[in-house]
Amino acid sequence: MVYSEECDFIFRLKGILEFACQLDNPNGVQSQSTISKSFQDLRSKVTSKNIVFTVCNSPVLIWPNTGFQSSVESLTEASACGDILQWIESDDGGSKKSSKKKDKKKSGPTVVNMKLLFEVTEPAGNTAPSLIRVSTQQHCVKMPLPLDCALSVTTDERLETVCTGLVEALNKQLADMEEVVLQYRKGSSFLVPQPFHFQLPEPAGLITVVYPAGVPDSQLQAVREDLHRKFELPCDRPYLRRANAFHFPDAAYKDGYLRNPHIHLNPPNIEDAKLYLVQGVYSYHHYMQDHVDDNGWGCAYRSLQTICSWFQQQGYVETAVPTHTQIQQALVDVGDKEPRFVGSRQWIGSIEVQAVLNQLLGVTSKIMFVSQGSELATKGRELANHFQTEGTPVMIGGGVLAHTILGVVWSENTGQIRFLILDPHYTGGEDLQTITDKGWCGWKGPEFWDQNAYYNLCLPQRPKTI
Amino acid sequence: MGRSYFVDEAVGEYLSGLQAAPGSCVTGLLAGQSSPQRDFVVLAVQTPHRESEGQLKAPKGVSPLDDIDVEWVTEHAKQVSRMLPGGLCVLGLFLVTPPELSKDAQNGLKRLIFAVEKYIIKGRLWELSEEDVTDRVTLHICSKTKKLLCKTFDVKDPKSSAKPADWKYQTGISSSWPMLTCSVEVDLQIPVTGSSSDNTDKCMKDGLRRWAKQIEAAYCLINGRQALDDSELISGQKKNPKTTNRQTLPARIFVSDEQSELGERSSALVQVCSGSMRVRGVVHCRAYIHNNKPKARHAAQAIKRDIINTVCSRVEMFLEDLCINEGSQKGLCSGQQALPRRVFAPMPISGLSVCDYMFPDESTADVAERLKEMLDCETPEEDIDTSLENNQLFSIISGFEITDSQDDDSSKHVSEIQAENHKIQKPPKYYAVGSGRYSSFMCGPCSSHCSPCHSHISTVFQLMEKAKMFV
Repeated sequence: MVYSEECDFIFRLKGILEFACQLDNPNGVQSQSTISKSFQDLRSKVTSKNIVFTVCNSPVLIWPNTGFQSSVESLTEASACGDILQWIESDDGGSKKSSKKKDKKKSGPTVVNMKLLFEVTEPAGNTAPSLIRVSTQQHCVKMPLPLDCALSVTTDERLETVCTGLVEALNKQLADMEEVVLQYRKGSSFLVPQPFHFQLPEPAGLITVVYPAGVPDSQLQAVREDLHRKFELPCDRPYLRRANAFHFPDAAYKDGYLRNPHIHLNPPNIEDAKLYLVQGVYSYHHYMQDHVDDNGWGCAYRSLQTICSWFQQQGYVETAVPTHTQIQQALVDVGDKEPRFVGSRQWIGSIEVQAVLNQLLGVTSKIMFVSQGSELATKGRELANHFQTEGTPVMIGGGVLAHTILGVVWSENTGQIRFLILDPHYTGGEDLQTITDKGWCGWKGPEFWDQNAYYNLCLPQRPKTI
Repeated sequence: MGRSYFVDEAVGEYLSGLQAAPGSCVTGLLAGQSSPQRDFVVLAVQTPHRESEGQLKAPKGVSPLDDIDVEWVTEHAKQVSRMLPGGLCVLGLFLVTPPELSKDAQNGLKRLIFAVEKYIIKGRLWELSEEDVTDRVTLHICSKTKKLLCKTFDVKDPKSSAKPADWKYQTGISSSWPMLTCSVEVDLQIPVTGSSSDNTDKCMKDGLRRWAKQIEAAYCLINGRQALDDSELISGQKKNPKTTNRQTLPARIFVSDEQSELGERSSALVQVCSGSMRVRGVVHCRAYIHNNKPKARHAAQAIKRDIINTVCSRVEMFLEDLCINEGSQKGLCSGQQALPRRVFAPMPISGLSVCDYMFPDESTADVAERLKEMLDCETPEEDIDTSLENNQLFSIISGFEITDSQDDDSSKHVSEIQAENHKIQKPPKYYAVGSGRYSSFMCGPCSSHCSPCHSHISTVFQLMEKAKMFV
């Protein structure tokens, strides 16, 4: 089994196969076997000689079921899968600009995208077409199955092995889809089975689960419980909700927000100190986004949005990140503010953040009070513990500013501490280079805080749920 | 800037050999291939005589130009387009008139060319792309002076006026045109909603259109190379194309089931149907591409269009035939019936091939007959290649073969019979099961297998004779 830390490549094969069947009586006993027969036909199709993998942005075609043939002479069964890279044309914008940065981190595995195709030429027979007509009343069912298989491999893995593995994965996915279709079918109403990939802790690695479209996560609790047991996953945090789906390194986020800008930074080198960071994925929310001009008053709102984005992307909630107005309305709803608060430019603090997290997301938070900024340097242990157990972003408000703390470097022995800060006061665009260069996301020392002001910190707690 | 038409000398010979009765006009088609830079004409065919029922019609209009049977000319054009492999199409018309009618000839040609284009594209499953040339050529020939006047009309624009064009003769225009070939497996399941025959036709058309889009969007390899971009089809082409033999380039087509209209569905599409139709079998396809630095993707387009056309044509022909025979019979009856199969024959002089479709109970003699009538050329029966698509054989014993879509046993049965037949090397015998075709020979003048049938009285009688010979 390949451990994903070591894996260099992810081969991802996508394609649509149309599922079709004719049911005489959708509620009859026969219908299940008719449906299964159709899936059987699809599995035969996938193991036939006619299937072809095409590597996106390249002239490479591979026939995996004919003892491995490829359209490019130099790629044979013995080829290492890394050889395929030389054939792939990267996009013109393929920026390796960031390699200028000396402290650029390893960007993770390379994704090789492939598409599933079927050859219709080179047929087995030669018989001219016939027209076959059936005139019984039937329900004709058609459904596109969105196949999506992924395999993590190392560079020296043979290409042939990868392709055989992908064919097996297709087969298994069709079997999983059949199960889901049959389980959720009601008469002639069929739900489309959709595959989701999840990166689980070792040794499971990258797995794929098929969920029925349209059925919300809340109704799939039992399915997740089974899978948690099967993969020996902790039962108190979500791994397999749709929001937890693996984000492929080459995919852009459609909403345009930056994710985890902090991973592009190197933590400060403090002797004897350990690193405690936020877990999972959050989006960077800051001034001026979403056409809202909140320059000068919205920093705590933005920090709250960052926290909400974390809970959404870790799968705890399905609701979207709230707007300023929605945040204000929530505070009115809980009786914390008067109705005229909505639409105003009034500041909020940690207590309000805690209230909104509870009201809109059902998330509870702990509040930490610090009477002087200078005292923050002594809170290393608490913050370290928080990032270890909860791993959620922390909102800190005090003086006239609000910020988000994403982690600490802290030495238990010397007490030395640095804070990883995400600053919501940034007014520019989603430019990672600027944000990291100028310290809008950066490591700060204890002098960063107003030494005399008092601070409140809101530490959100993970709900115990899968 | 006018277009340039490079015309095979043989076409010139054919045109000079045309005989018009004094005072009357001769119409005909011009066929070949258009490319953005220049056009090639490889075939000219005069409009065949149409035998009306009984007497000659009294001349209607003031001039013989008005007597031109526009409907007949367009029908002829449609028949001929069905016989042209991919890459080739009806490019225009010619009109021979006596000198006194030369002035009005242009108007006549314009009317005809727009009517022809409109009729040919009816029922076609693919749309012209922006790159396709929409100019069609009209050639006027004076019967006395033999003078040629060549103009083009843009059939995309009904208001377009005639533009001058060059008409140049050359020998062996198409002798080195590469030929793309492939055999394509077709297996289309088409649900039928509603019960009238109009519904059947519409459902069939919709189903075929979906499949045609798949083919158009398909990935294509020509001679082992990707055929996507503007790269040349044949790199390292020899400087003198005339010395090379015609290359045969195999094409391979790869489809995906992606249908954008289905989009992001969360549930299946379910229709209550009164039945279904399945088109299943292998079609053999050909396309020619000119050898004036052709681009790979134009070649891919040509072969794909041939694939779509050949399936569409035979289904159309079958349904037309069915309509004639089953007539007012509403609703579907079950069964498996052979669609006409494709045969190829050499085109006069140019060395390119044309095709025709043979119903199960027809023979190469029928094909030769049609080639004579539609393309005005004599083709020895032994030159007609029927080997590219195998005949469909059904078990006589079982009579109506009601095959359910999931049942694969019937095809196994068929291939077994086929294998046997090949071994014995018997001349093929075709049995169409339950088609009602035999009854049609007995009634009515419209009982031949290619429409229009009015001119085929003699052929029909011959077919009736032959029919009695079958078991």
